[in-house]
Amino acid sequence: MGKHQLGEFEEVVLLTVAILQGDAYGIAIIEEMETRLDRKVSIGALQTVLRRLEKKGYLKSEFGEATAIRGGKRKRFFALTQHGRMILQETKEQRLSLWNAIPDLSLKES
Amino acid sequence: MSDHRPPEWMLRFFRWFCHPDYVEDIEGDLEERFATYTQTSGVRRAKWLFMREILKLFRPGLIKKYDSNIQFTPYGMLHNYLKISFRNILRHKTFSALNIAGLSVGIASCILILIYVNNERSYDTYHKKYERIHRVLHYFGSREGEMDFDTLAESDYIVWGNAPVAPALKSYFPEIETVFRFTSPSPWLVSYKEKTFSENNIVFADSTAFEIFDWSIIAGDPKTALVRPNTIVLTKKLAEKYFGEENPIGQTLIMDTEDPFEVTGVIDIPTNSHFSFDAMISMTTFKSMRPEIFDNWGYVDFYTYFTVRPGANVDEFAAKVPDFLEKNFTASFNYYVRMEPLSEAYLHSEAGRQPGPVGSLNNIFIFTSVAIFILLIACINFMNLSTARSVERAKEVAIRKTIGSLKSALIFQFLVEAMLVSFLAALVAIGLVLIGHPYLELLSGKSLPIDWLFTLKNAVLGIFSLLTLGLIAGSYPAFVLSGFRPVSVLKGSFKTSSNGIWLRKALVSLQFALSVILLVGTAVVYSQLDYLRNHDLGFNPDRVLVIDYGYDSIVQRKIEVIKRAMKQHPSVVEASASRATPGDFFPHAGTGVEEPSGEMSYQSPAIYEIDEDFVSTFQMNLIAGRTFSKDFPLDSSNALILNESAARLYGYTDPADVVGKSFEQWGRKGKVIGVIQDFNYVSLHNKVEPLSLRYGTRGNIAMLSLRLNSDNYASTLSELEEIWNQLVPHRPFDNHFLDQNFNAQYEADARFGVIFTIFSGLAVFVACLGLFGLTIFSTAQRTKEVGIRKVLGASTVSIVRLLSRDFLQLFVLSLSVSIPLSWYIMTRWLENFAYSISIGWEIFLLSSIVILVISLVTMSMKTIGTALSNPVNALRDE
Repeated sequence: MGKHQLGEFEEVVLLTVAILQGDAYGIAIIEEMETRLDRKVSIGALQTVLRRLEKKGYLKSEFGEATAIRGGKRKRFFALTQHGRMILQETKEQRLSLWNAIPDLSLKES
Repeated sequence: MSDHRPPEWMLRFFRWFCHPDYVEDIEGDLEERFATYTQTSGVRRAKWLFMREILKLFRPGLIKKYDSNIQFTPYGMLHNYLKISFRNILRHKTFSALNIAGLSVGIASCILILIYVNNERSYDTYHKKYERIHRVLHYFGSREGEMDFDTLAESDYIVWGNAPVAPALKSYFPEIETVFRFTSPSPWLVSYKEKTFSENNIVFADSTAFEIFDWSIIAGDPKTALVRPNTIVLTKKLAEKYFGEENPIGQTLIMDTEDPFEVTGVIDIPTNSHFSFDAMISMTTFKSMRPEIFDNWGYVDFYTYFTVRPGANVDEFAAKVPDFLEKNFTASFNYYVRMEPLSEAYLHSEAGRQPGPVGSLNNIFIFTSVAIFILLIACINFMNLSTARSVERAKEVAIRKTIGSLKSALIFQFLVEAMLVSFLAALVAIGLVLIGHPYLELLSGKSLPIDWLFTLKNAVLGIFSLLTLGLIAGSYPAFVLSGFRPVSVLKGSFKTSSNGIWLRKALVSLQFALSVILLVGTAVVYSQLDYLRNHDLGFNPDRVLVIDYGYDSIVQRKIEVIKRAMKQHPSVVEASASRATPGDFFPHAGTGVEEPSGEMSYQSPAIYEIDEDFVSTFQMNLIAGRTFSKDFPLDSSNALILNESAARLYGYTDPADVVGKSFEQWGRKGKVIGVIQDFNYVSLHNKVEPLSLRYGTRGNIAMLSLRLNSDNYASTLSELEEIWNQLVPHRPFDNHFLDQNFNAQYEADARFGVIFTIFSGLAVFVACLGLFGLTIFSTAQRTKEVGIRKVLGASTVSIVRLLSRDFLQLFVLSLSVSIPLSWYIMTRWLENFAYSISIGWEIFLLSSIVILVISLVTMSMKTIGTALSNPVNALRDE
């Protein structure tokens, strides 16, 4: 399924959303990525990818309750769709099959 | 605990650009981030990071779509205007077609004329030192008497001058940077391997050529190309002719069968140069051939150009000229120089003996006026048709107003419509220009580059002018139609468009007037050209074959034999050898002739060098005395013939009296033996100038003229060529008929005539389109009236007359304006010619009748149909 290739950042975002289960909103995703991957991510970069993934049908989103800490603004929670899950699964299998194809020796030498 | 707020103005900016669906949650994220940052890094840093985050949010996936709910412009309204305009254009196909056709022809003509005029004005501007290049004009006066040089007109000067003035100027004026001379072209026989051609346009040129002029150098080193003797720089055309694909640099050309010349350069001279040649030979070659003329102030064969240093003022030269001549000039005749900037050379120079064809400011003026006329006529069409149709549009306007449209909005709508039409017309016009451009090049005989048109500046300018055009054309309908009072229109009391009638009448008269002016112009141009062709030249140029052998010394030696052999051919009536034939270049010479009072008077008439058969071969009329004759062997050293003008110049009212008086010219002394009738040896643009004819010695003869009388010129020519090849096989049989050559000088006039006629025709055509549209409209308005008249018994003729009468009145009115105006304009044009027709009343009559007939025919296409139609159809509806 070549045309459904995920970008590296896209993959990371999808995985993070999956990790956070029902708690994946903008800042939560960023912080998760910062702690787990030690990677700086701007809101702009993240939001662009989120919207793009949503448009492709890998993610769905809904508003949560308003909280005081955010100046009364609601959070938008993202979650994987069935399609998104499939894509992640597929990507993982592709990677694994590549890993498995490497002869043991060559990896050690390098 | 976080009572710090993120900067509100940044948030506002974010809300402005962000997609509205995303604003809320992203803003929430931002605020949350801000709160975290203030805790971890302090407020200042938090604000800074916040700003960075917002700037990073400004990306395509997140910003607002352009066509989202919020409108920044009245785009929807514009959209509606365009839609309505398109519908209007499509619904009234005839009117739209007439409008667009007229306007596009108008715009296309304008652009084509612009291309032509721009080319004329671009002459020589490609030189980088354009502003600093000047040339020397010379005045060669008579031998005697003090002269006030300040009173001389520019037309008394000639561009052609002597050799020593150039180095003298350079050493006298420190402001002069570089001087450059080149000679008038001389004929050469050029051979490379088995190829031999005679070339007529090769000049001698100083090595400084490339320091002054920026001709494109294709090969060779410009610094050294013209330094050594016997070197030649070819133009691309000639290089290809002789060498084809070979590299010409370093090759050897054999000149005049004996001298080897080395090719040291290949250049290309742009077509918009005021002088041009096929090749340049180094001046050092000429210097070694004839060293004496480089110190001779009286030997005239050089054009002198120079550059001044940046910042130098050439106007100051004039005051120093007397001192300059005092110190340098050594000869004894009256001589003076003045400077002319290069920018004047092509269009503004009145000096004589130009190195190349010059342009005519008058023609540019006339062409520009024609362009404006055509565009004006097309605009008038547009206005007329729009105002005429205002009745139809009145209801639309009234309803729009009732619903609440503002007057300004209506004005805008009509303007949009007009601009749309002019844009459509412009699209068609671009196509027309592309089609017409090659024809214009053909007609004008010039290559007219159009690449300069396609720049951003011109595109903007073009769009701007189109908008202006639409604005002008649409202004009247826009302002008048939008002013209608809806109540009176909707009540039905508004029936005729009496508002526009006055203006419409005036505009139609103006169109008629412009058409008549253009037609009168065409008629005058044509009859003048016809007059030139049939003017009594004082000699008969028909059926004279001229063989040009370019001072070839072998031919010169054998010329008597050749002449005799040619004469034996049955088709050759007469033969004569001479230095020049009418229409060619000729020198001037200081000549002294005894005046009636007995004193010698020195003047500088043109000279012809001829033999004893010249007068009879060219069928000139001898007024008094005799021509040269074999019976007087001393004619070659002590006889001179003058023309009538020369006789008058030396003070003889009766030309016959000069016969027998003594003369002195170029080392010869003797008696004037005859006077011939003035013949036009230059062009009918000029009066016949004084001319002296002397017996040509062999070394000064370059042409053999044969008067033929044959039924089959093709076979005669090949037979003559055979005779020629038997006697002088090395020399090509380079021939032309004299009338071709002589008529070539009216070529520019003829081209002008054709171009002028075509554009006048287009103008009349556009005017007819408009007239046709108006007729359609006015007859349609009167359908009922015509129906009733027919029912009551009116004849077809009377109805056609009724329908055409209004226009005829306007036509007569327009004549009163156009006739005096066209008379004035064309009289000015005729002043270009020394011999011209006088504009008679027939021309006006003819032009008026032609316009009248064309208009009547145009109108009749509609009026007759209306008059013949069945009145039942006209009266049935309602």
